[in-house]
Amino acid sequence: MEEIATTPAGVLAGAPGAGNELAIEKKEQAVLELADFDEVVRVYRPRILRFLLSSLTDRDAAETLTQECFLKAWNARHQFRGDSSLSTWLTRIAVNLMRDHLRSRSLRFWQKTKGTALDVMDISDWIPDGRSSPENAALARDQVAGMWKAVDQLSAQQRSVFVLRFVEEMELDEIAETIGMNLSTVKSHLYRALAILRERMGGKR
Amino acid sequence: MKFRKENPEESGAGTRDDMRELVEAIGLYRSAMRHVAEKQAGRPFAPVAQRASGFRLRMVLVPALGAALAAAVITPTVVHMHHPATTASRVSPAAQVPGTATTVAKMDDTQLMDQIDSDLTEGVPDALQPLTGWDDTANKATKTAGTEK
Repeated sequence: MEEIATTPAGVLAGAPGAGNELAIEKKEQAVLELADFDEVVRVYRPRILRFLLSSLTDRDAAETLTQECFLKAWNARHQFRGDSSLSTWLTRIAVNLMRDHLRSRSLRFWQKTKGTALDVMDISDWIPDGRSSPENAALARDQVAGMWKAVDQLSAQQRSVFVLRFVEEMELDEIAETIGMNLSTVKSHLYRALAILRERMGGKR
Repeated sequence: MKFRKENPEESGAGTRDDMRELVEAIGLYRSAMRHVAEKQAGRPFAPVAQRASGFRLRMVLVPALGAALAAAVITPTVVHMHHPATTASRVSPAAQVPGTATTVAKMDDTQLMDQIDSDLTEGVPDALQPLTGWDDTANKATKTAGTEK
């Protein structure tokens, strides 16, 4: 996957004015970053997989869509102009794939048969930071399990926005660009998601 | 009786506690998700065939199993409906007239009931059959009565 010519003609050439030099340089860097696709996969795969795992809570589906995401990125690498960061571009592809996945009627129907859904057992070997005692670690796992269930009950859009903001720690305008929503819509989804989570997590006590 | 007034400060503190707990839970959730994703991403991409055995194979097998189950239920019913004994009487001119599926289904039900009725009638023993030669029997009875006189 090496030796890829990735700089589209005309994208970097003919920049009007010196003020745009920085932006062009950033674009060039983003495009050059895509040249070593193995490295791109190595660096961004955990992030894309994490987003899809958090959003779909299905390991096989997340793995499949991650693979498709990089396949699509590879096929469309010549169309990448560096207008957004590589991370945003890849996440956008993942969001679109996930949207298609959720739109599929048959998949939606059979979603309830998720055989490889993540469960609390998957975090059994996870040791939360700063909680050395087994009791505290168990308490933290309970909190995560509660959070997991609450997030799973959010709508697809609310979940996507929530995951991008609080798991991927993206800025709101970046989320808006990635998902293709207005900033105000993103804020609205996030506000509702947090209200629901707060209510559900609060109701557990 | 003293009623406890709601203290805005306490209410605000409760809200802050809720928020703090939510923030803490979100932090733990993020940490756990990163752990799970890193563990998963540590594995190489599964080959297509292997993935098929998981996600996609499930998507094929589950509907296939459903279809097989449906076929197992429907087939005996269809076989029964197309049994020669029932087919002969069900296929009537009325049924051959093209119509909607609902009409056909209704006709089938009616014809099936007719068929059952017909079968039951045919199954009645000879001794209980309606008298076919009523007049002959009546004449014989009359003659016998006349002779006895």
